[in-house]
Amino acid sequence: MRAKVNKAAVSEPARKKKKTIPAKIWSFFNSLKLTLGVLLTLAIVSIIGTIIEQNKPIEDYLSSYGPGWTKVILSMGLDNMFHTWWFNAIAGLLTVNIIVCTLERFPPKWKSLLNQVPRGKFSPRMIDNCSHNQTMHLTGGLDATAEKVVGIFKRKKYKVVSHKEDDGLYLYAWKGTIGRFGSDVVHISLLLILIGAIIGGVYGYKDFRLVYEGGTMQVPDADFKVRLDKFWIDYYENGQIRQYNSLLTVMEDGKEVLQKQIWVNEPLYYKGIRFYQSSYGTAWDKVESASIGIVRKDTKSLDSTATIKWGEKKRLPGSEYSVKLIGYTSDFAFDERTRQVFSQSADPKNQAVNLEVYRNGKLISTPWLFLKYPGIFPAIPDSEDDLVFAGYTGIMYSGISLNKGPGTNLVWTGSVIMGLGFILAFFIFHRRVWIYLRETDKSTEIKVGGLINKNQFAFENELKNIVKEIKSDKST
Amino acid sequence: MILSFVFFSFSFAFYILSTLFYLGNAVFKKRWLGQIATTLAIVALFSTTMILIARAGESGHAPFSNLYESMVLFVWALNIGYLLMEYRHKYKVMGVFVMTVASVAMLSASMLPFRYKSSGQLNPALQSKWHWMVGLFSKVGLEKYAIGWLDFHVFTTFIGYAAFAIAFALSVMYLIKNVSEMKGKKYFIAGSFPDSRSIDEISYRAIAWGFPFLTIGIVSGAMWANYAWGSYWSWDPKETWSLITWFIYAAYLHARVTRGWRGRKAAYISIGGFLAVVFLYWGVSFVLPGLHAYS
Ligand code: HEM
Repeated sequence: MRAKVNKAAVSEPARKKKKTIPAKIWSFFNSLKLTLGVLLTLAIVSIIGTIIEQNKPIEDYLSSYGPGWTKVILSMGLDNMFHTWWFNAIAGLLTVNIIVCTLERFPPKWKSLLNQVPRGKFSPRMIDNCSHNQTMHLTGGLDATAEKVVGIFKRKKYKVVSHKEDDGLYLYAWKGTIGRFGSDVVHISLLLILIGAIIGGVYGYKDFRLVYEGGTMQVPDADFKVRLDKFWIDYYENGQIRQYNSLLTVMEDGKEVLQKQIWVNEPLYYKGIRFYQSSYGTAWDKVESASIGIVRKDTKSLDSTATIKWGEKKRLPGSEYSVKLIGYTSDFAFDERTRQVFSQSADPKNQAVNLEVYRNGKLISTPWLFLKYPGIFPAIPDSEDDLVFAGYTGIMYSGISLNKGPGTNLVWTGSVIMGLGFILAFFIFHRRVWIYLRETDKSTEIKVGGLINKNQFAFENELKNIVKEIKSDKST
Repeated sequence: MILSFVFFSFSFAFYILSTLFYLGNAVFKKRWLGQIATTLAIVALFSTTMILIARAGESGHAPFSNLYESMVLFVWALNIGYLLMEYRHKYKVMGVFVMTVASVAMLSASMLPFRYKSSGQLNPALQSKWHWMVGLFSKVGLEKYAIGWLDFHVFTTFIGYAAFAIAFALSVMYLIKNVSEMKGKKYFIAGSFPDSRSIDEISYRAIAWGFPFLTIGIVSGAMWANYAWGSYWSWDPKETWSLITWFIYAAYLHARVTRGWRGRKAAYISIGGFLAVVFLYWGVSFVLPGLHAYS
């Protein structure tokens, strides 16, 4: 007789006789074959999702697969496969499968395992049918032997019930019943994880913000803002980058409520939202200050320079000019159609500043000055003087990812429960031992037979040891 | 890095010798051959441990940060798992197969390009130490060896992989034994194998260890991703392949629950599962694009 004695499974064929449509649907979902099919389908389909790169622009698919296949990929959603309706439907199938299986199997298992300790005699012949069994004869009397046997099992943390009949003594010893529920705990935890994932998908978001030092970012769905006080980079001694850091302050109703330094693996967590360090750079449309100099057009000699802060109007020393710093681009470009200046990239390739130039308090021009091309456009019309852009101090920005994941804690809770389920399912075994003692002429006959739901080897050894102990003379 | 490479070379030699002695033991059935094989396996374990310790000393952090180090960790876990199994079940013939896997793993690690072997400083995304552990270790001045999600993730994952590798070796044995039992012939060394039911059972036990560890690995990876990237699951190829592997072994476990799926079919699933592990480990790094470029 093999170890699996599952009463729930036994009742399955009986249910198959007369089937209404709901019953058919129910038994479709109450099937381990479906589980196998769905698990292997998920595995195979997921492989496709790793071979075809996900969420790329159409051009990438066109160049790797050609127009025909690209059409197939896009129409089936293979470019964003894990979020297609049909992928979710397969996952849904698994979910319903788990729910139905648990509802179907758990209650009868609970009843049969927890409530059915044999209360009377059992057929001694069933002991011989156990996969591990032994019959032996001992010289001691029945009561003394029984006491010894019970003692041995109790020491091994078995629970024991005994039942005395005219024809002998019936003992039943068991332990690890709870291990039988491991699979149910795993399945329920899996449902919790799925629910957590769904909640996160529906109510959570991911967002990204660039903030300058001193700047403030808006936070979606929240009653607070976050300010970046400072961004900096730490280096190893050999110059390799060690860490990116941002100092953040949470502002609520204009008041500072919390300040925290974040780095790559150390987010700020506030009111259900996490703020992660995810990138950084130098601003392409703003500088902290620029240094501006005056040059005489004929001699090209630099007369004097001054450092102008962003937005500040300042007189250039020893001259009649004042300038105000109103614009900056890191990679200057000019759109002929709209006549607008813009930055071609975020990289400092062709830095330029935009100034308002005043003579004796009157605005006379608003030139762009180029760091790399001084003097190509005169800054001051009809004058012997020209201005140059001699240098600047950039502003660092920090790229912050925002993440609201309301189901995340449920996912972790489910994971911990799943761990418990594994311990129950894989490391706690349900062991049941039937023992029958009978007095014969000069000795006591003992029959011992046991079942375990898995890990036959461990049990075989344990029973061997128990039998050895029973046979040995040492009393307890 | 000299010291760890020296230990690596010694370990490599020990694994090959141990494999050969296990094979000799299976073919010639001499007790002393088996004893030497086991001794060599223990020496190899010691030597592999020294690789990891030397690495930690050289790099100044826990030694699981690149493909090479994780390969050594895999072999280390495989060896411990095997020795425990041998101690428990006394079937030395299993060593032929498991130590072959260990030797192949050592060979592939030794063939990695140097940039995968060198132990550099950790880039920012790989730094995720647990604060409580840093606090604890700093009391004895060892805070740089404090571990975090990444180390925990790699460690548990590789114990899982090692268990699956053992199950794989046993499944191959099972198939050989099964065929030779059916045809009534003794293929190769199949005569010295335990009966096929025992192989099947032990193989299942290996997966019963591997599956929870793989799960802990996936979950801790998700926790790490949640800290580092702000979301616990993003379907990048490595994550997806770990899930594929997980599905395959879940299928294995359920296949055993239904009747008639033990033995041969189970062995096929187990072999398929291990091929997925190999791809998850090597294929994803070298064939598919993704975030886990380092290991
Ligand atoms: C990804 C999904 C699933 C996972 C990870 C999972 C996990 C597990 C685990 C770990 C076990 C214990 C196996 C063992 O003891 O060897 C188990 C057993 C079992 N599972 Fe699942 N399961 C999943 C889905 C399902 C579904 C959809 C069903 C529905 C039919 C199901 C039915 C069962 C049954 C009947 C058992 C055996 C129960 C027992 O022996 O006590 N499982 N499952």
